[in-house]
Amino acid sequence: MKTLIRVLRPCLAAGVTALLVAAPVMAQNTGTVTGAVVDATSGRILTDVQVSIPGSGFGMLTNDRGRFILVNVPAGPVTVRVELIGYGSVERTSTVTAGQALVLDFQLAQTAISLDEIIVTGVGQATARRRLGTTVDVINAQTIAQAPVTTVAQLLQGRVAGASVNATSSQPGTGSLINFRGTSSVFGPQTPVIYIDGVRVDSNVSTAAGTGGEQSSALADLLTTDIERIEITKGGAASTLYGSDAATGVIQIFTKKGTPGQTRVTFRVEQGVEVPELKYIFDMGVIFPVIVADGGAPADFLAQEFFKNGYTQNYYLNVNGGTSAVTYNVSGRVTNGTGTQPKNESTVYAMRGGVRAQVNENLTVDFSGSYTHSSYGRLFNGDAIADPLTTFEVGDALFFSGESTLQGALEVFLSPTITEEVDRFMFSTALRWKASDRLSTRLTVGIDNRSNQQRILEPIGFTPGEPTGNLNRRDRNFNTVSLDAALTYTWPSDGWFTSSITVGAQGFRDEESIINASGRTFALPGAPDIDEAAVIDAFEINTELFNGGGYIDEQIGLWDKLFIGAGVRFDAGSTFGDDVDVQVYPKLTGAYMISDEGFFQDALGSVIDELKLRGAFGKTGKFPEPFERDRSFSATSFRGESAPEFDNPGNTDLKPEVTSTIEFGADVALLNNRVGINFTYYDATTTDALFRVPEQPVTGQGTQLRNVGEISNKGIELGWNVQLLNTQSLAWSVGGTFTTVDNKVTDMGGVAPFSVDASRKRVQEGLPVGAWRVTTPRDTDGDGGFDSSRNLFICASDPLLAIDIDENGVRTPDPGCDGDEVGGPTPTKGGSFNTQITLWNRLNISAMADWATGHQVMDWGSVWSTFNAIYRRELIEGLDCSGNAPGGDPRCFPVDQTRGRRFSSFSAISAFMYDGDWFKLREISVRYLIPETFAGQFGLDRASLFGSVRNLKTWSKNVMIDPELNGLSGGGLVLGSESSITASPPRSFKMGVEVVF
Amino acid sequence: MNAMNSNARPWIGRIVMASLFVLVGLSGCDFLDPTNVDNPRTTSEDLADAAEPTASLLPGLRAKFAEAIRSLVVTTENVSDNYSIHGTGLPKILDDPSSLAPVNLNGGGGVYNTAQALRALGDFVIDVIVPEDDKSTADQVAEARYYRGMAYLIMGENFTAAPVEADGLPLPASELLTRAITDLAAANSGALAVQARAGLARAYRLEGNSSQAESFASSALGADADFLIQQEFDATSITNSPYAFLVSRALQEMQPLPRLDFLDPKYLDREAGIAYAKAEEMHLILAEIDLAAGGMAAGRAHLVDAINMAISRGTTSFTDNDPRANEDLSIRPRDASIVIRADANSPFIAGLVLDRLAGGLPIPTVSATSLDPAVVAGLTDMDDVWHAFHLARQEILFLEGRRMSDLGIRLPIMLREIEANPNISLGDPGTTVVVPSYIPFADEMDLFTPKTLYDGGLLDENQILMGTEVTMNVDMNRVLTVNRVTPF
Repeated sequence: MKTLIRVLRPCLAAGVTALLVAAPVMAQNTGTVTGAVVDATSGRILTDVQVSIPGSGFGMLTNDRGRFILVNVPAGPVTVRVELIGYGSVERTSTVTAGQALVLDFQLAQTAISLDEIIVTGVGQATARRRLGTTVDVINAQTIAQAPVTTVAQLLQGRVAGASVNATSSQPGTGSLINFRGTSSVFGPQTPVIYIDGVRVDSNVSTAAGTGGEQSSALADLLTTDIERIEITKGGAASTLYGSDAATGVIQIFTKKGTPGQTRVTFRVEQGVEVPELKYIFDMGVIFPVIVADGGAPADFLAQEFFKNGYTQNYYLNVNGGTSAVTYNVSGRVTNGTGTQPKNESTVYAMRGGVRAQVNENLTVDFSGSYTHSSYGRLFNGDAIADPLTTFEVGDALFFSGESTLQGALEVFLSPTITEEVDRFMFSTALRWKASDRLSTRLTVGIDNRSNQQRILEPIGFTPGEPTGNLNRRDRNFNTVSLDAALTYTWPSDGWFTSSITVGAQGFRDEESIINASGRTFALPGAPDIDEAAVIDAFEINTELFNGGGYIDEQIGLWDKLFIGAGVRFDAGSTFGDDVDVQVYPKLTGAYMISDEGFFQDALGSVIDELKLRGAFGKTGKFPEPFERDRSFSATSFRGESAPEFDNPGNTDLKPEVTSTIEFGADVALLNNRVGINFTYYDATTTDALFRVPEQPVTGQGTQLRNVGEISNKGIELGWNVQLLNTQSLAWSVGGTFTTVDNKVTDMGGVAPFSVDASRKRVQEGLPVGAWRVTTPRDTDGDGGFDSSRNLFICASDPLLAIDIDENGVRTPDPGCDGDEVGGPTPTKGGSFNTQITLWNRLNISAMADWATGHQVMDWGSVWSTFNAIYRRELIEGLDCSGNAPGGDPRCFPVDQTRGRRFSSFSAISAFMYDGDWFKLREISVRYLIPETFAGQFGLDRASLFGSVRNLKTWSKNVMIDPELNGLSGGGLVLGSESSITASPPRSFKMGVEVVF
Repeated sequence: MNAMNSNARPWIGRIVMASLFVLVGLSGCDFLDPTNVDNPRTTSEDLADAAEPTASLLPGLRAKFAEAIRSLVVTTENVSDNYSIHGTGLPKILDDPSSLAPVNLNGGGGVYNTAQALRALGDFVIDVIVPEDDKSTADQVAEARYYRGMAYLIMGENFTAAPVEADGLPLPASELLTRAITDLAAANSGALAVQARAGLARAYRLEGNSSQAESFASSALGADADFLIQQEFDATSITNSPYAFLVSRALQEMQPLPRLDFLDPKYLDREAGIAYAKAEEMHLILAEIDLAAGGMAAGRAHLVDAINMAISRGTTSFTDNDPRANEDLSIRPRDASIVIRADANSPFIAGLVLDRLAGGLPIPTVSATSLDPAVVAGLTDMDDVWHAFHLARQEILFLEGRRMSDLGIRLPIMLREIEANPNISLGDPGTTVVVPSYIPFADEMDLFTPKTLYDGGLLDENQILMGTEVTMNVDMNRVLTVNRVTPF
């Protein structure tokens, strides 16, 4: 094969060179195209409208007076296209005369469902949304510009129907838990695959050594800088062409490559304050009342001594411009935040460049590259004894520190230093060659390289940890190379029948290398090196994988109303067992623009402007972890010898789990395009689900991934928006999303129920993945006192009640449990509301709130505090728990009356399960465009002021923990909804100014 | 090394892969053949290339044995009356033997799993590797047999039945002991002879075979009169896990029965050795054989030998930082002024509790006992001798994983085995805990009065010892005496 490549490579080089040489000399006789764009109904000026000459590379955005000017346009016939999200696109054709200005004004009509929007994700070639039988969500540049967010994960929050995006903590470097359409797998994370400019990137949510629960995440350094648009497929037929990598969905990010015209320099300065969210911090009055009463510490000790207001700075410089042949977009960004907790400072340096070269009218080359360097300071957290926040809130601060004062204890707990440095390079290059009117090709190659170094130093004397000093360093290097190539033949492209067939191939290779070294017991204080330690230990983890395949995708249009898509992906990978065949993922989609039918117009045309019905069936997969297929042995160091043992049992039949999704839906625009609704029902079944099946202990083996299970996810996704007002001076719209998920394990494949994520989350037939199963005190002898404890499932309608499930699956709920639904950690319903107001074309105000219900959460901090005989929840909720027992206040941590003492908290986790419902006023942002007449006095083309607030207010049914957060889970499948004392994301206030010159 | 097996794929797979190769070439990039991956672990093919596979795998057996010994101690000492659990690191239910179910022993580090892992690796070495390894030596095979024999012994000592092969039916403890004896007998030569004989004496004792037990106990002592064989650990890999629960944790989860306070924590660092064969135990076996046969004088003499040998092992100075906290942070006995009686009918005894907050405590690291050999030598009542015998066995073999078995408690097979083996169901032999009727309710074995001994809890600044007399709820050695609990 290498010989073949050596033969082919010179051929390729010659071919590419020939293409480049063949690029025609650009026309020398040019003119100008200029004009204005307004709203067709109100006459309101429309700013930031994309104006372009398709296929030429010419394009720009309209200014604050709605005007545009395209210079150096070659003389001759020209078609100008005008596009704005929320409006139908318009094309006008005219002729440019050399040396003259062609004036073209446009009126855009609002459209509620963006059917002309071009989608490229999940289809063989770029396709208008009206032709798609699947749902693809899009977040556009305007939304991104207005959103007061830093990372892509934050951007997705509340903006995508069917997506659950939960923050994990306020600490820097942590990522969010992203989940589309429920939990489809139990062996790995649910994070969707992420592509940037066609290149698959690292999305691992556990990239460093554990510090108690909150995890370092590769999502934290995927910034929103210079993103032009994001397309999101949530699995099913829309993701089928990604094969064994897409069961959890695909997020495709496209970055800016610049627009032709004069060079524009954008400079943005942003300053902000972060105010800690103390809603779930109850402080010393509850935990150390004696000390507070004695004057040893104020009742708000943590608020005073631990938390602080954080200060954020963000500086952004962008240079954008180009000619009709070459455009570019280059930016740099520096962001710093001090954090609201001690030792939480973070600094991010980011650079990105994008270039688009129109080599000739048929060949386009895109290049984009980025570099990000992030530095974080962190604290121990979650269930770590060294976690300062938890240890103060549960009463262990003095005990574990050995200090006599809270101030002294805080000094001890803040003495460790946890730092993380992340370097990340990405680049992508893409070639698009239009061989003829019918035949086009594209090729994308790219790399993402992410390396991070984490150091955890526990100094000498750090009594909660290793008092003799301990230093742990973990280096992780991740590299992924991806390739995507396709050839599309389109014919006929007009008429009652259209056809477009794409044949493509796609593959990627991941390499991950982790080296962990630690040193314990140091003689000297300071910041030592590991080699100075008395005891040194080290290990490494190396993995490699390849996955790739070919696909065929056919898109047929009939009468421009009925659209049928069919495709199949063939997939192979290094993670498949030796006896496994190539995997086949088919898809079939259909879309029907029923509103284009005469009968429909006659009957409902006055009310319904556009209605598209759609349906799709498609399969996607999720490949196993690397090397799980092999029988292997490993060895551990023991007393100077290398001691071998059984490692992985091996499975030659190992293959990807497959999710088959059938979905139906409609996109409808009503009332003169004032109301837009997208509705989808989906039913996804994951077969051959990979369970980590325990081998019989008698074999001396551990567990083995096997394709044995079946998981079902069903639900609806609803997105809506309403244009309430549309006048020359005021535009006001409201919108939102609504999502339901019914998640169940439908077949265990003969495997006994087992725990995932944490020991309290179960996988069991008939129950949601991660169903809460916790220790519950019972009165077995009926004497009115608890005398034993059993692991029981919690009741979804009241998590303080239990459901017993026998070996036949028969459920016996506690009296008072409404129904027999078992509670789980994942919300079953969620959604968001948003509103946008534009005043005088200058002032934009937007707000967004999101919510989730139907899940239950666990309060580990209160469990922990019971070890210290502190009944934190009872104290905070003011419960009278004297003599509590069945018949007493069921919210009280139970007393074992037989022995006259409290149950071990390990025996009564059920007392710490709460309803997880929450509602968060997530974002409010305001942007004011300064009049050009004023800005111009300072030599500025454009200037704007903006301000925002994020995480403004939280409401939750339980008062003890922030139910959105996840502060305990480790790697693998992360379902969240359990926290120790974890700081919520702070209220973040920012304001700034942006100038363009 | 272990490239993806494309040979097994049909034609369509080859077309897909070939097209990918072509496209990789067309990209002009430097990465070639992206499908090739190397498993960094040793695969079966790699193992076949080992020059001396038996020699290579023996360190693995040594490590597995260390894991089995340490998990034996952690599990069984807590189930017994020796220790109770007062922190977050261990399941509290171990203190309540009657409530133990297979699910409670499902952890990978539990004694069932580690003993089976040792046995399974032993099978692999003895049955698969050795026959194909012409460089394996008799000593190597003897060592492998010893470790597998010890795995059978641990299972036979602590379980009523257990399977020994995939999909196998549980074999009764008697069969497990027979297999232990067969393997240990094969190791009864060369460097391992003394420990093999000690193991054989233990196995025959459990079988109730007094003549063989006496024979091997005597021959072990004959070879080395004060032998002490310990499994030592590694500070950075397989550590002494009891140490973690006794000393190094912020909360010392394992708290000793107050009358055994003077023996705690025995393992003073992460590498500290756990004895699995020592001369004292042989004397105790000889004593028990004689006592069971009615030979009070001979039995008493062996018992005094055991006590004298234990005393001869001495102590090591150790500064303990354990505040002796209960799970609710109330304080357990921790002052030398405290006197303890084994139950309400026993005399108070001084010296059983050390001043835990003082430095330089004399801690026995091998063996110790509160019994005075002169007093024992003067005992004339058979019950008193039996009581002294049980107390001596409890104290001398403290933290070595014998007490639970001595109490007659047998653990159930771990749940994972029951669920994964199609031929074993809950309720089958070996799947339920066996707790003799003389074992008291729940965690009564661990309890004492008064529960509140100090004025104030651990977090209060001025705790004051309010009384110096502590009474254990139950004297399990009296219970064993009354019930004449012995294998013989």
